Parts: sequence; C-alpha cells; structure tokens
Amino acid sequence: MSEQDESGQHESGAGASRRYVLALGAAAASTVVTIRPALAQTAGSIVNCEIPVPAPQAAGSYIAPDGSVVAPGTPGAFPPASRPLKGEEVKVMLRGGTPPGIDAESSQAYANYIRRLQAGMSGFTCYASLQMPR
Amino acid sequence: MAGPRYTADPPGAMPTVELNGLTALFHVRSGMTHILAAPAPQILALLAEGPTTRETILARLTDRFAVESEGDVLELLEARLSELENAGLVWRS
Repeated sequence: MSEQDESGQHESGAGASRRYVLALGAAAASTVVTIRPALAQTAGSIVNCEIPVPAPQAAGSYIAPDGSVVAPGTPGAFPPASRPLKGEEVKVMLRGGTPPGIDAESSQAYANYIRRLQAGMSGFTCYASLQMPR
Repeated sequence: MAGPRYTADPPGAMPTVELNGLTALFHVRSGMTHILAAPAPQILALLAEGPTTRETILARLTDRFAVESEGDVLELLEARLSELENAGLVWRS
C-alpha cells in the first residue's frame, strides 16, 4: 500500500483544474484488508479457549474458596484442576453452576480464581472473551 | 468485446470513514469492516453510479484521475477488482 500515491485518495471535485494521480499499484499489491468481525472471533474463542487453574507457573498449588492461590495441602483449599477448564465449562461455573466431572465446592473456588485473573495472566484473554456480551 | 459488468452496493450500504489516506468501510449487509487503499475507494465510488464493465471503469478513472500503473492498465484494474470481489464488495453481473 505504501506505493500508493496518497493524493489518489482525493476525488477531484467537479471541474477540478488539477488532476490527481491515481496509482493502480502492482499486480501483487494489496489494497483491501478485511477485518474479521470481533464478535465472530469471540464466539470462536469461547468454544476453543481454555483456562488453567492455577496458571502453569503455580502448578500444584491449591485454590482457596475465595480463589486465591495457596500452598499445596492448605486446609480448606482445593487441589488444582486436573486439566485446563474449557470456555464452556467456565461459563457454567461463573454462573454458579458445576460442570460435569468437577466437584461442586472446587468449582466455585475455581470460578473465584478465574474472576481474579488479570491481564497478562494465563487464561485472562479467555475469561475476558467469556465476559463479553454476545 | 464486452466483458462482465461489475456491481457494488450503493454508498448508503457502505458507510466510510477517512483515516489518514486510508478508508475504513463498513459493509452493512455482511457486517464486515474493510480498510481500503487507493484505488479501491475510487473504484467503489464509480461502481456506485451503476454496474459497468472493466473498460468503462478504466475510462471513467482516466477521465477523473491521472492514472498511473506499473504494467498493463487493464490487468492491474482487473487485479484491483478481484480484490474487491474477494472481499465481497464487488460482484459480476
């Protein structure tokens, strides 16, 4: 696109005394870039994204009922999720439900952990996309 | 010989915003947004006047602009039209 003459962007007005240069570009040039709809991407990411609980760097740590990451074996806390949670499962958990195969109390601790995720943390983008209205 | 006629949606179906020499275009029917560089917006503006052939598009462009190309003008126009076709902004009728 850099080869395009910017002056070509301006339509000459009726009876313009000056003709603007309009470059047709090279055969392989690209003058149209399509932006994929953000909502479509969001829908795709909800189906496919996963959230590890806890993040890989805290692997093995337990999750307290309030969602904080605590030392393994801490009384009252729950063992980490055995596998990354899928977007659809997280949606259920965030609404207070329990997805199949996950203990109900652990489920709410995990949901609280996910609610505490911040930008830059593993799984945050997935969580953010789950929060977006569709 | 007369080639295919190219058609585009009317301007009302494709609101645009100028962005520093580029044009952002929202195609209402598809819900897609496109960023266009010259000569794509100029071609769409011509097609807004009605379906027309590649030859007529070129004639109108050269009438309004000092058209420059790095090769065969009609082939390059065809390449630009193909891009617009691939984006769903232009189709042959």
